[in-house]
Amino acid sequence: MMSPETQDIEQATTAITEEAPPDRKTRRYDRQLRLWAATGQAALESAHLLVLSSSATSTSILKNLVLPGVGAFTILDNAVVTPADAGNNFFLEGPESIGKPRAQEAVRLLEELNEGVRGHADLRNVEQLLSAGKSELFKYTLVIAHNLPQSQVERLSQLLWEDDDAPPLVIVRSAGFLAEIFIQQHEHTIIESHSETAPSLRIDKPFPALLQYAQALDLDALDPTDHAHVPYVILLVKAMEKWKQEHNGLPPQTYAEKKAFKEAISNMKRKIDEENFEEAEAQAYRSWTETKVPSEVAELFDDPKVQTLNASTPPFFYLLAALKKFAAQPPYTLPLSSTLPDMKASTDTYIGLQKLYKDQAEQERNIFKSFISPGVRIDDDLIDSFVKNAHALKVIRGTSWNSIDKNTIALGNAAATSPKQLAIHLALSAASCLASKAPAPSQGELPVFTIEALTQEAQSLLPPGVELPEEFEFTAGEIARSPTADLPNTAALLGGLVAQEVIKMVTKQYIPIAGICTVDLIETWTGIL
Amino acid sequence: MATIGNGSATADWPGRYFHIDQILDKPGPRTDPGFSAGAEARFKLSFRKPFIVWKVEVKAFLRDQAKILVIGAGGLGCEILANLALTGFKDIHVIDMDTIDISNLNRQFLFRSKDVGKSKANVAAEFIMKRVPGVKVTPYFGKIQDKDDDYYMQFHLVICGLDSVEARRWINATLVNLVDPENPESLKPLIDGGTEGFKGQARVILPTITSCYECSLDMLNKQTVFPICTIANTPRLPEHCIEWASVLEWPRIYGDKKMDTDNPDHISWLYKTASARAKEFNIEGVTWSLTQGVVKNIIPAIASTNAIIAAACCNEAFKIATSSAACLNNYFMLIGTDSVYSYTFEHEKRSDCPVCGGESLDFPISRDLTVEELIEMLTEKQDIQIKKPSLSAPTKQIYFQAPPQLEQATRPNLEKKVSELIPEGGEITVTASTLPFSLSLNVIYT
Repeated sequence: MMSPETQDIEQATTAITEEAPPDRKTRRYDRQLRLWAATGQAALESAHLLVLSSSATSTSILKNLVLPGVGAFTILDNAVVTPADAGNNFFLEGPESIGKPRAQEAVRLLEELNEGVRGHADLRNVEQLLSAGKSELFKYTLVIAHNLPQSQVERLSQLLWEDDDAPPLVIVRSAGFLAEIFIQQHEHTIIESHSETAPSLRIDKPFPALLQYAQALDLDALDPTDHAHVPYVILLVKAMEKWKQEHNGLPPQTYAEKKAFKEAISNMKRKIDEENFEEAEAQAYRSWTETKVPSEVAELFDDPKVQTLNASTPPFFYLLAALKKFAAQPPYTLPLSSTLPDMKASTDTYIGLQKLYKDQAEQERNIFKSFISPGVRIDDDLIDSFVKNAHALKVIRGTSWNSIDKNTIALGNAAATSPKQLAIHLALSAASCLASKAPAPSQGELPVFTIEALTQEAQSLLPPGVELPEEFEFTAGEIARSPTADLPNTAALLGGLVAQEVIKMVTKQYIPIAGICTVDLIETWTGIL
Repeated sequence: MATIGNGSATADWPGRYFHIDQILDKPGPRTDPGFSAGAEARFKLSFRKPFIVWKVEVKAFLRDQAKILVIGAGGLGCEILANLALTGFKDIHVIDMDTIDISNLNRQFLFRSKDVGKSKANVAAEFIMKRVPGVKVTPYFGKIQDKDDDYYMQFHLVICGLDSVEARRWINATLVNLVDPENPESLKPLIDGGTEGFKGQARVILPTITSCYECSLDMLNKQTVFPICTIANTPRLPEHCIEWASVLEWPRIYGDKKMDTDNPDHISWLYKTASARAKEFNIEGVTWSLTQGVVKNIIPAIASTNAIIAAACCNEAFKIATSSAACLNNYFMLIGTDSVYSYTFEHEKRSDCPVCGGESLDFPISRDLTVEELIEMLTEKQDIQIKKPSLSAPTKQIYFQAPPQLEQATRPNLEKKVSELIPEGGEITVTASTLPFSLSLNVIYT
């Protein structure tokens, strides 16, 4: 049993500050706050999005961002509602909207979804926006473009790529059952990746207080109830100490030794059904698996920004530099996490063990803090969150939209590795090229893209000698069938996918796509290119 | 309201279906040869042998004849209704027994603050008819179990956007039972969607042809159940304290009075009670939000994921109704937490599925197992999960949950060993009032 001294007197006597029932806003957002919490919500509420066009896909995307409470959005669109728009866009009022400015109608109906969100209709065209220069674009958190003509999307991509701190650009292209999504961004750092991998409990490298506690515990002196409630963490530390004494200080190496170690744990049972010992056996691997810095995190230590910290370096990299220093010291791990999973234990032993972990985590966090470059002021909450999520940090570095179709070698390689995804991208690119060469069809007319012309365009994007993927026949055929169809179901699906990505980008939680996400709604799959 | 939603009587304006007609005017490279756009076409199930054939023109079928049922007018249901209406379905029915809560408004986009407390089915139907001219949506504010086979027989397709396993099992079994091999129209494709946070799945079930909902019961995430002894004696987590308040303290203090998890006063009491217990045991982390989450078993839900899954479901409905492309065979799952990961696969039919399989399930048990323990096993086993099962053998009753006289008469059997009542290889029939099917167990002693 835990000695009473180890209990924090203050903690035990502090009155519980009782929460009042949640307010209206918290109740409204309850189901999403359980995913991204108040911090994510605050980030979302301070975002201002720019969406180019008010197509069915664009309004579907916005719907899924207005509902969770994005701060503001602007639709830039000079189009007037056509009969076709009135048929496929839920954020227009059927025939009543025909002839009215499309952006205005869409903004009005989208705003109805959430009183907390401001919408703006900008009735200029994309050309006017582009010629107004960067400052117009830089006031937005993120820019989304759906089915923009090729020359416009190229210029937009260029404007938003020239500066490192330009807003990210989400490019969405769709035709009929096929679509793709690409996020253009220089750099995206994630602390709260919501990884499903739990941080190490460091059973293999027990910290002094844990080791001491385990060593001091005399299992034979415990009564049967207490014996069946010793947490598995303690059992494993104890068992490993004993094993090491008998094996030249080494943990089990071979399969046979590992099996013997598990048997030793099983033999410690007094009764056949002691669950804590069963848990220890099941978790035995934790005691011989060495706790190290996860390789994905270790790779980040070599990031160029960690090497060249300066006044303009974001706090993330200062923290990463401190983490690197921390991990260079014994025991060569990340700072300990204070979260302890549930395990078979009595209340006292569990809470006592939890306290050991919390105290050690606190100590290590202070050591970590001491490694942060002096003179850099970083919010304590950010530091806490960084330490808590240190095992699953993430940095995404992207490419520009314009470079994708110029990189013939990469496209050529994709023909071998991801032919289905490539077939969709090439078909959409080919259609975009063809559209830019022909005069725009008049309202209600379809552009004619022959499979031959699409094939020729697509082939020209690949290096000589690389054949188009077999699947291209299908994707080109679908594009030829429905070159400009913004189908309600495809629009709704893209609306969901893009909104998920935007939420991930804006909240800096969860991990957005790196690369192109392609979508085929005939066979119903998505795939990253 | 009635003046707007008068079905196909409202004229479609020219150009209304400009986008959709690109798909319906000509076939694509992967379209089934049975699809002949514009001319005589068929409504059929396109990835197996054709067995449902309506000799009508595709657009006419979609817009004038197809009758589709949407079960659930919540997170998925709102999305499904909007998508179906825009794709050209004009005769849509919707069932939902729930009323609108403020926590629905972050995703159920057909509802506004002023609608809180009203029927989801009614408000959703009215909204769709107002927004999409010419579409008739017939709401039913009630339970799916209120309706009989004749009711379900009138639809061509059923789409489910439900959050309840029980309701899904019920409609799945009902539609499987409806299939009459002599009558191809009795086969109603069932499209089912579900979401949780950034994850979700959509699937197509062709009753008796493909794997059904019951076949895949073991794919469900196992719910965390805290052992009662932990809750009573050794709480460690804030959740244990909350369960103590709701499972043990509430009945102790309030007796038979039913706890209403939608009543803020009740949640408030549970929160305070759980907090006091947590304080007593030095456990941190009991909050209002966690209390509500635990007692209501709240699943995080966002508009975007619902949009993805509902769109996937409606896309299948559209493809099936028009044969414009092959439909999903048969399961699509999507995870949006780390990049966009999805997996499309054919879930296999189970020959021992109690709903569509026909074969009885081999069930190995110990000779020492009592009837009561068997019942517990049936409740917990991942591929069975039957709450409150009643058991019978071909010649005798083993245990019945109801009516009370029968329960009393069979109660002494609970303590008996199954092996005293059933011979090796004998059959036990399991039924439950919540499920419209029975499960046959083939008992094997180990």
